[in-house]
Amino acid sequence: MTKLDVNVVIGGPQGGGIDTSANLMSRAFAFSGFDIFSTREFHSNIKGRHSYVHIRARDTKVQGLKYPPDILVALDPDTIFEHFEDIGKGTKVIYDSSFATSELSQARMIMRDTASRIKSVLDENKLENNVKGMLEYMKSHGGILFPIPFEEIVRKAVDDGVPSRYYNTLGAAITLSIIGIESESTKEAIKHIFGGKEKVIAPNLKVVDEAYRYAQDNKLAGESAGKKAKLSQFLLTGNDGAAIGKLMGGLRFQTYYPITPASDESSILEEHEAVKWLSGEAETLGSGGVTVVQTEDEISAVVMAAGAAMTGTRSATATSGPGFSLMAEGISFAGMDEIPLVITLYQRGGPSTGLPTRNGQSDLLFALNTGHGEFPRIVLSSGDVGECIYDSMKALNYAQRYQLPVLHLIDKNLANTTELVDGIDIKKEKVYGRNEPDGNGTYKRYSLDTKDGVSAIGAFGKNIFWLTGDEHDELGHVTEDTVMREAQMEKRFRKVKVAAEEIPVEEKAVIYGDKNAKITIVTWGSQKGPAIEAAEILSKQGIKCRVLYLRMFMPFPSEFVEKELRAGQTNIIVESNMLGQAAQVIRMNTGVDISNRILKYNGRHVTVDELVDGVKRIAQGKEKDVVLKNGA
Amino acid sequence: MAHNFRTDLTIDWCPGCGDFGILTSMIQALGEMNYGPHDAVVISGIGCSGKTPHYVNLAGAHTLHGRGIPFATGVKLANPKLKVLVTGGDGDLLSIGAGHFVAEGRRNTGLTIILFDNEVYGLTKGQAAPTMPLGMQTKSLTKPNVYNRVNPVAMALAAGYSFVARGFSFDTKQLKEIIKRGLMNDGSSLIDVLQPCPTYNNINTMDFYRQKVYKLEDDKSWDPIITESTKDPMEKYRLANSRALEWDEKIPTGIFIENRTIPSFTKRLNEYIPNYLTSPPATQSISDSKGYTIVDPARTFADKIV
Repeated sequence: MTKLDVNVVIGGPQGGGIDTSANLMSRAFAFSGFDIFSTREFHSNIKGRHSYVHIRARDTKVQGLKYPPDILVALDPDTIFEHFEDIGKGTKVIYDSSFATSELSQARMIMRDTASRIKSVLDENKLENNVKGMLEYMKSHGGILFPIPFEEIVRKAVDDGVPSRYYNTLGAAITLSIIGIESESTKEAIKHIFGGKEKVIAPNLKVVDEAYRYAQDNKLAGESAGKKAKLSQFLLTGNDGAAIGKLMGGLRFQTYYPITPASDESSILEEHEAVKWLSGEAETLGSGGVTVVQTEDEISAVVMAAGAAMTGTRSATATSGPGFSLMAEGISFAGMDEIPLVITLYQRGGPSTGLPTRNGQSDLLFALNTGHGEFPRIVLSSGDVGECIYDSMKALNYAQRYQLPVLHLIDKNLANTTELVDGIDIKKEKVYGRNEPDGNGTYKRYSLDTKDGVSAIGAFGKNIFWLTGDEHDELGHVTEDTVMREAQMEKRFRKVKVAAEEIPVEEKAVIYGDKNAKITIVTWGSQKGPAIEAAEILSKQGIKCRVLYLRMFMPFPSEFVEKELRAGQTNIIVESNMLGQAAQVIRMNTGVDISNRILKYNGRHVTVDELVDGVKRIAQGKEKDVVLKNGA
Repeated sequence: MAHNFRTDLTIDWCPGCGDFGILTSMIQALGEMNYGPHDAVVISGIGCSGKTPHYVNLAGAHTLHGRGIPFATGVKLANPKLKVLVTGGDGDLLSIGAGHFVAEGRRNTGLTIILFDNEVYGLTKGQAAPTMPLGMQTKSLTKPNVYNRVNPVAMALAAGYSFVARGFSFDTKQLKEIIKRGLMNDGSSLIDVLQPCPTYNNINTMDFYRQKVYKLEDDKSWDPIITESTKDPMEKYRLANSRALEWDEKIPTGIFIENRTIPSFTKRLNEYIPNYLTSPPATQSISDSKGYTIVDPARTFADKIV
């Protein structure tokens, strides 16, 4: 097989079929045996505003995106304007040749601030304020232009209907042909996406044929990238991974209020509410499905899930920043009443409504401190789709084992990242059993007769006991007694100590790369993949780097992190926020101050290249704080 | 032996409080329904009414201010076999929890909601609650109430509760019967209970109510039940609404509407989720004898495989 490592950005209007293009490309790559990794960027808008997908395909494992892209595919004029900064030496720009005369002033869906930046670039370079002008600008920055007669090609393939309906297929097919993906794979992908809809499949296949023919005739087609046997793999987003992990982990009740980028997870669960069981013993045990409830608000979502949890059901909710703020009181209640509850927190750019559809990691400190009063909690974070699956199972297990709220952090970038997952290991995580009352004597829900602070948990419908948000006695009745208050506080916090001891350190923090490297890149969440690849690239260039990747913030792996950070010479934190929140958590827990920071808060994903560049600037002693800027 | 539905806890409501009559009616209703110790649960929010679960010898949750309904909904949806009672004050259910009150009407989950309606926030020293009329000044208010009132019965009818009734805390016989009817309703029931707050509401006293209340059922032609064979259900709603708005001269108690044609939320879910009512979330197995998952990700998420 040929070596392949290609980055494609494909853009067009929201609602204009960009997802289909991206799906088509991802599957075509997968059917040719390549690994893929992609993320999706979009506005808070239903139709019209600019949306794009950044996909990378590679012959080996891929876990981050490179920038600038090798290919930019524009399905509308706005894409040419919006991505004016995304052109590197040799970037191929594929676009509909009819766009050339489109004026910037007519591109009404471009945000005014962006349009004015575009205008000043064109004016500074004395270029016309239209696509033609921008293409010239791109050319002068190393771009190679590929004007494609979209309408003509589609008309050759299909003679009825609106040609633009097929532009997403055409754009993807031309691109795949230029990359050297065989048309067979592209056609297989078409059949896969439009599964069963013959009327849709037939014309799209014709468009693919015409696209490949056009590329061949015009000598655009790339050398065949080869093909290897395709594996049966899952093509999953972070949202998908969390939904799958939750279901495998025993989740049977999920609540949500619609919010980007969290509600996709609940929709996925709802689409798969008719659960299929494994064969053998599982088949005799499995019955029913998963209940997903859309609530009236996030206050209801968290409290309703808590109510379900008290019947013995594994319950969870999923939300994003604004909704999570509303859940604060319910989380405090779950902490006080020792309710096993998972809250999957999809971080996006804040504060307030912030950047509702863009990336952010600014809710870490909030997650660690949500809710009034002092109560135990577990806070964990995932960094790739595989972790979304198994961490979701773990989160449910932690909630059950320690009877407390578990906050599972996934950032928007990861939620919308698509990865190929080789297989799902059904034996990787066990599903913890419940610590049920033994039935002897009066049942005390909050019995103080417990070493680890965990008392047997009864279920409504099986046991009589009480819950109250007030401080309570062993039965669960209100108390304000000084001694009982102290005893219950201490009981609850014993669980944190036990969790800190029981949870293995590798579930909290992991070192990647050369253990003896002097430069340590410290990061969390969706920067995991890009950081690991950046460290590899830098190490090859003689700047020896390793990655300290954080997975759990409460209980925090203080000893391990402190030892590792004091062992190296240069520590650099990489986060998608402005304050370096994880660095603050590290300092609070270990006393180690990480003075070098690579931060990004423009709402876009961190790419490998800007990270490599940032680490170099710090390693060369030029800067201490680097702000990353990539992304349209 | 019949289950004893009272705990041995000391009740710390004020002497003469209407809450006692409500508790008595509840306990009697539970007994007459012949429920076992694990058949029913009591959920509350915050306030004097919020203490009720602790006085009832059933599993109970004294949750957050205004959040009794969503917590109870979670319990009911995860284990639909349970009878779920909610106790809440007018501030709890109609002010801070008003959104849940309306949403629950739309859901019709199958909760029996008992609204402790005394027009004041007792536990925080007598502030005006959502059922207090505009311009009324109880003794702890610094000036007459500047809010207008909301009518819980009319609001419940508008929200879609399938059973809407009103009781009076000093008529425990009628209230007990209403609670029993509410518990028998498959959907959600809202029972507004008029009650004095002897400490903070010096206007709506026991005597005030005694002189004003009358029973809808005293009119032999009053029939609030709607079934599939009811000829004109809208006429029943017209009558219920017009009675609901009576206040100044006489205040009606009894059942305003009992609409048996609205399917409960659990029945609605059962249409879509396989075996939901026979294998609800609370009774499902989630792991095999070795402790591993029983869910097949490849078959459940077959659409995600390429």
